[in-house]
Amino acid sequence: MAEGRDESIKKLFDAKSAKVNTNRGEEYFADLYVKCQKRLGELKAMPATGGGVDLRKVLEEDGFERRDFLKWASATTAMLMLPASFTPLVAEAAEVMNRIPVVWIELSDCAGNSEALLRSDGPKIDEIVLDIISLEFHETLQAAAGHQAEKQLEEALELFRGKYILFVEGAIPLGIDGNFGTLGAKAETFKDHLLRLADGAAAVVAVGSCATYGGIPAAAPNPTDAVGVMDIVKGKPVINIPACPANPANIVGVVLHYALTGSVPELDSLLRPKFAFGYRIHDNCERRAHFDAGEYVEEWGDEGAKNNFCLYKMGCKGPMTFNNCSIIRYNESVNWPIGVGRGCIGCSEPDFWDKYAYERPMANAHIKAPTGGVERTVDQFGLGLLTAAGIGIGIHAAASVMAGKKNSDEKDA
Amino acid sequence: MKFDYKKIERMTPAMRIIHWANAICMIAAIITGLYIAHPYYQSFIAEGAVDKYVMAWNRWVHFISAIIFDVTSIVVVYLYFFSRFEKPYRKLIPNAKNVKEFGEVVLNLLTLNRRKRFDSTHSDSFNTTYFTIFHLLLFFMLFTGLQLYVHGLESGESSIGAWWPAFLHITTDWTIPVTGGTLMDVRIAHHITMWLIIVWIVFHIYYQIWRTIFWEEGDIAIVFGGSKFVKDKE
Repeated sequence: MAEGRDESIKKLFDAKSAKVNTNRGEEYFADLYVKCQKRLGELKAMPATGGGVDLRKVLEEDGFERRDFLKWASATTAMLMLPASFTPLVAEAAEVMNRIPVVWIELSDCAGNSEALLRSDGPKIDEIVLDIISLEFHETLQAAAGHQAEKQLEEALELFRGKYILFVEGAIPLGIDGNFGTLGAKAETFKDHLLRLADGAAAVVAVGSCATYGGIPAAAPNPTDAVGVMDIVKGKPVINIPACPANPANIVGVVLHYALTGSVPELDSLLRPKFAFGYRIHDNCERRAHFDAGEYVEEWGDEGAKNNFCLYKMGCKGPMTFNNCSIIRYNESVNWPIGVGRGCIGCSEPDFWDKYAYERPMANAHIKAPTGGVERTVDQFGLGLLTAAGIGIGIHAAASVMAGKKNSDEKDA
Repeated sequence: MKFDYKKIERMTPAMRIIHWANAICMIAAIITGLYIAHPYYQSFIAEGAVDKYVMAWNRWVHFISAIIFDVTSIVVVYLYFFSRFEKPYRKLIPNAKNVKEFGEVVLNLLTLNRRKRFDSTHSDSFNTTYFTIFHLLLFFMLFTGLQLYVHGLESGESSIGAWWPAFLHITTDWTIPVTGGTLMDVRIAHHITMWLIIVWIVFHIYYQIWRTIFWEEGDIAIVFGGSKFVKDKE
């Protein structure tokens, strides 16, 4: 009990310490290098579980040269904030990632994170690497259905108990005893399902904003009482990869980091890996110069929009959002929201749908009065307060003037 | 009836400097803060981006006025307890005398100066409480504002060393859960509090002018010359 209180007090004071330590010194990295080599050796000795797909072969078939793969490996090394000397290890880790069993479940979601992996114009290396991971169970992707699928899941849970990584996509509804979402013939609620699968997992990875914070299912008025994985799963390492959808590069980053070091990456107070969510979008934005210059898009399609001006006045939430999409972008750096000329909606932050995604500057954000009913913009509330004060003062001043006259009348008399 | 007027020292030069530093910073912070929240004027589109630095200058003025506020706030806290001139905290203790005086000052305001049964030579407990509310609002602004500021120092480094962002995290991270749990809540709270301070200022100015007119003791002169005059019946 006392420990819980200490924890909550500690949380109050370092709710979001975003310090990103990129240089831990040569000694640390030399140690890590040896550790990673040992770990990779162990993994190589293990049999590949996912049908033994060879990454080199798959890449070749998809038209990627070895050089492309190594370029990807060095970019990923940099993303994981490791020194360049780790590049061969990262490349090796990608090749042995198929030794790590993964179970992927979907709860209250739109399968958007799975779709983000699958529906790109051509498979990128990130997605191919994810394709070859030993995916033991994935409702959307597997051929099995019904009782067969359930049997497959049970077998995977038994066989890889304590070893598999559980990927969760989607929020967990808690309303009416969790019965807003059930799975299978036994109508197991999402919550029970998650707890049962998390029990045997080495680590739980929440993919996307719904699994992380409840996301869109949890948006006001949250009819199903949806929450995120970290609110349910206790006593297991939980890694959050928010954003809508989560960037495949970050998903690969987390699995790679696990393959490489056997541990979860350094996390911030919201359990997000710091290598991905340690920096603010705004500070690495290509349109930042326009922000500082006061050059804003005033309306869609205006001269400013044609000139790639800053989208702050169109409600861009880059200044309040921590994510690496302004650095690594999506689909192997093809593009990202600001690049296509629309603002950030803060999809990797808690409560993003209610508090970030209204596509207006914060001063025009609709907020609720303390009583709950009235909804006005922040500035309208402020002006309302000012008007009330002005009316009060006006009445008092007028009354004082009349009373004052009376007084001087009395004095004169 | 003829009165003699007695001069009474009410604000020391240091207090007056702090008052006007605060007033100027306040206006600067509001003008620039409204721009930062929602840029309400446009820069010349034909000019190159390198020649204008509108948001950056607004933010610079905003931060400089904030940092001056930080310093005066610390001085004001010190003076509340250790001023040799007068110790405002004594007027905040809710003892019988202060509560009665508070009520009498409110009645004086509500009865439009028909009833004035308190000693108006010194800073009364109503005004002191009112000023304390301002300082609390200001402290909230400083903590939420510095929390928003530290978001730009993700690397944990700053031009004055790594201690500064670390210090800011330790002192201001509590504002996130307190305002509602997200960075946006801190921003909205910061903005709403600005409106509360504007309302505070409006009443403050009105009330000091009202006192000057109706009490006929030259209260408005306190903040310029440091003293007021009370009727000395002899």
